[in-house]
Amino acid sequence: MVCIRRATVDDLLAMQACNLMCLPENYQMKYYLYHILSWPQLLYVAEDYNGRIVGYVLAKMEEESNECHGHITSLAVLRTHRKLGLATKLMTAAQAAMEQVYEAEYVSLHVRRSNRAAFNLYTETLGYKINDVEAKYYADGEDAYDMRKHLKGKQNHHHGHSHHHHGGGCCSGDAKAVETTQPADAKAVSK
Amino acid sequence: MKMYKLAGEERFLLWAVCSIQLQVLCDKSGEKLLLLAEGLLKKHIASHSMHEPEALMVYISLLEQQSKYNDGLEVLSGDLGSLLMIEVDKLRIQGRLLARANDYSAAVDVYKKILELSPDDWECFLHYLGCLLEDDSIWKYFDNIDQIHPTKHIECKFSHLTEEMFDSRISSASDLVLKLQIDTENSNLRGPYLAGLEIEKRKFLFGKKNENKLLESLLQYFHKFGHLACYASDVEAYLHVLSPDKKTEFVGMLVKNSDSFSESATKVLGQTTTILKVQELTGNIFELPIDEIEASAVKLAKLYCQNLALSKDLDPQESMFGEELLSLISNMLVQLYWRTRNFGYLAEAIMVLELGLTIRGHVWQYKILLLHIYSYVGALPLAFERYKALDVKNILTETVSHHILRQMLESPMWVDLSNLLKDYLKFMDDHLRESADLTFLAYRHRNYSKVIEFVLFKQRLQHSNQYLATRVEASVLQLKQNADSIEEEERVLENLKSGFQLVELSDEIGSRTLRFNEDMETRPWWTPCPEKNYLLGPFEEISYCPKENEKKDREENMKLAIQRKSLLPRMIYLSIQCTSTALKESVETNGSKGDTKISGELECLLEEYTKMLGCSLSDAVEMITEISKGARTSESLGSNLVEWLNFAVFWNGWSLSSHEHWHVLNSLFERLILDRIRSMGSSDMSSCYSDVQVLVQIITEPLAWHSLIIQACTRSSLPSGKKKKKNHQQHSDQLSSSPMSQTIKDSIQSLCSTIQEVSNWIQNQLDNPEDDQVERFLSTLKRAEDATGGPGQILGVLENVIASSEEAEVGNRIFDALKSWNTADSARKTVMAQQRVFREFLQICESKRKQLETVKQQMSHV
Repeated sequence: MVCIRRATVDDLLAMQACNLMCLPENYQMKYYLYHILSWPQLLYVAEDYNGRIVGYVLAKMEEESNECHGHITSLAVLRTHRKLGLATKLMTAAQAAMEQVYEAEYVSLHVRRSNRAAFNLYTETLGYKINDVEAKYYADGEDAYDMRKHLKGKQNHHHGHSHHHHGGGCCSGDAKAVETTQPADAKAVSK
Repeated sequence: MKMYKLAGEERFLLWAVCSIQLQVLCDKSGEKLLLLAEGLLKKHIASHSMHEPEALMVYISLLEQQSKYNDGLEVLSGDLGSLLMIEVDKLRIQGRLLARANDYSAAVDVYKKILELSPDDWECFLHYLGCLLEDDSIWKYFDNIDQIHPTKHIECKFSHLTEEMFDSRISSASDLVLKLQIDTENSNLRGPYLAGLEIEKRKFLFGKKNENKLLESLLQYFHKFGHLACYASDVEAYLHVLSPDKKTEFVGMLVKNSDSFSESATKVLGQTTTILKVQELTGNIFELPIDEIEASAVKLAKLYCQNLALSKDLDPQESMFGEELLSLISNMLVQLYWRTRNFGYLAEAIMVLELGLTIRGHVWQYKILLLHIYSYVGALPLAFERYKALDVKNILTETVSHHILRQMLESPMWVDLSNLLKDYLKFMDDHLRESADLTFLAYRHRNYSKVIEFVLFKQRLQHSNQYLATRVEASVLQLKQNADSIEEEERVLENLKSGFQLVELSDEIGSRTLRFNEDMETRPWWTPCPEKNYLLGPFEEISYCPKENEKKDREENMKLAIQRKSLLPRMIYLSIQCTSTALKESVETNGSKGDTKISGELECLLEEYTKMLGCSLSDAVEMITEISKGARTSESLGSNLVEWLNFAVFWNGWSLSSHEHWHVLNSLFERLILDRIRSMGSSDMSSCYSDVQVLVQIITEPLAWHSLIIQACTRSSLPSGKKKKKNHQQHSDQLSSSPMSQTIKDSIQSLCSTIQEVSNWIQNQLDNPEDDQVERFLSTLKRAEDATGGPGQILGVLENVIASSEEAEVGNRIFDALKSWNTADSARKTVMAQQRVFREFLQICESKRKQLETVKQQMSHV
């Protein structure tokens, strides 16, 4: 029994415990904080019925050439809770928030070439397409697929009446206040 | 506020409002300010309306903070409500506000709506049920979360309901759940089925005699989801309400029913693992006879081997099939060791887990179990290695390092310990330093609710018991490391502001609520928290009471322990200062009272210290005096033995001129240390490491402090500069003939010979040739041809597979791993790690003894 809900800052403790049990994650805590404090609508956790965090998705908004888009930074599901559709649910929730809250045009992510399970999830279940291949993207020299999925984007414009709409609309923040040293790679460990 | 007035922008106003909310949340006072904040927001909305969802969230939470739930509902249903784009989010807030306003029937409707939208939302189902039964206990549970994994036990209140009311409401819940089950039939969701279990549990708690129905539902759930790794943790809360008989009955039902489901190998594997986990959870496994546990472990080992081939093509980072079996086997072996005290079982547990790691290097459970077993048998360097392999960093240092921290603090491995403490403190300090920037980041993105969460989170880390303890321990470690030279020690003390800093910390802690962020659920069953280790006591069936009950005690004990420890540096400093006064007193017949301020402060600290040990200063003195005379045994000091000795040392430091006190202290050291050595006898490390740990602490703490006081005494009796040269002869004549000097010499003599005993004991251990020790280790695993039980059976099963496995069958990765396995190597590593601990300890003892010898020589030159 799982509840997919927005992450709170306190959840970080359990989210990182997830990492101990999934795959070693190289993000520093401030990187998580950077995400949750900037785009809190894009962090979801899967909470099992007894309150345990068993998976999460970490995402952010990015602006390139005036095209507002979301990016999935990290997706993790506990080994004990694989094959329950959690990854799909987490991804769907984050994508929906990108679309509804930030009016993102598309969502991107990186995945290891060798991670067949994750690749299948993205292409078959979630409808992502390969956009590019980034050679030696990962620290260990492995290539990454740069994948994208188009969202409906600005069709339902809600922000019309807002008179202090900041900067470029969806992406009001920049990362300068907090240094983030790691590359933003999506490490998909779900099956 | 000023900025709001100047710019009139919403974000400046919200900044001010958040600050007020935080002030009220942290101080739990100034509630009137909330009213002010509310007024400000209202005014702003009237003139400018509101434009951001986050602003609305702040407004609603402000109203909630003042229990104005109906006002909140009004806002939500008004125009502003449209700011929330995601329907379910809005409904959740609405449900919460209705429930808190006790408008249960409306809340039920809202929650029902959410469940229809997302039938797998467990939190929502609990709220739905709570509202249906007009029970608000769930809110207390959500308000009061202080653990990574919140409690599994939510209290239920029924007393306000008549049986008729209960029946009709529960039946409407059943209807809903049934509908959800039908709606989601093809999606394999656990939610609706677990909801059915929850309903049976509530019925049971209400007093309906439906235990059998509950068992039946659990069994159905097993049929549907029993092969999944999450089954056991899913049903844990339901197992807990069952009576012991019913728990046993349930295990029986599972065993009987699992056999009929054997369509696929993975399913059988999953179900078998589940049954074992349920046996562990219910405590059922502790009631089984030894041979049955052995047989069961052997069966599991065979199952593991049979299924190796299933994992042939898996990516290296993926979980293997049957991975959990080895953890379960090792848990059984540890239990067998506990019951029989046959070391072979423990050795076998090590081998099973090491072999598991050889086959699959990333399995964190194996590493954690191994690190605890290695710690228990005194192979601490290996334990530390396994800990490092967990790759603990960032916030994990806060949640995971409890696995190793305590053992390291009680060990002679100071270099590793120092790194461990430094890494942890660096992470915490960095984070606390950076949090201002991060708070600003959230403000800039106008995520006001996150500002509040984040500030509270920062506080949670700041008040972490582990953080406070580590700060103190890091200072104490420096003092330990430098205790052989009084000059070095004084430099350390100077950096600690003469210990004053930590005394302040101790005062602060007294009024604080400590936070516990450690993830204890990953610990093995036999050491559920760092202070507890069942293996150190006799076997008793563990009754699996909820661990939460221990929390309160733990908080109180931790607080006292940190406070006591933080007084140490100051007491060391003051004792050193006292020596010059005491010496003067004993030499100058006319003796001025010396520095009464220093001794007064020390006395106060001693009083405080004994109070934290649970008695008055005079009672404490009586206690140690009686123990030193043998009128009481050291058992009366309980687990705080080292701290009592610390007290004795500083008590003596405070009253140096009393020969009797010196004598009490000498015999206290002698008695407590020699008692331990005698009880350890010639047993090897594996069975007496807890005694070694106590010895390490005695030598590196109280004894080290005492030897510092002796150094200080000698120093103040020796001419330290040219100025004193003139008086030298006269002065030292007086001193050497004074009874004080004799007392010090006696004390040195006594300490030296006591330490020598410890060194001898260690040397004896080290003199055992490594090969012999490895041989002895391996011999605990050897089985006679005709033996029916005992250790070694499981390893036998696993080794058979190693010998007979074929590359084509298990794949080259597993095949290579199997071929690289060597039992003797693993045994040797353990022995070598134990030896290293001994060598480090011996080195500390020897340097202490040499230091004292030097002081003795200096004194005889006087």
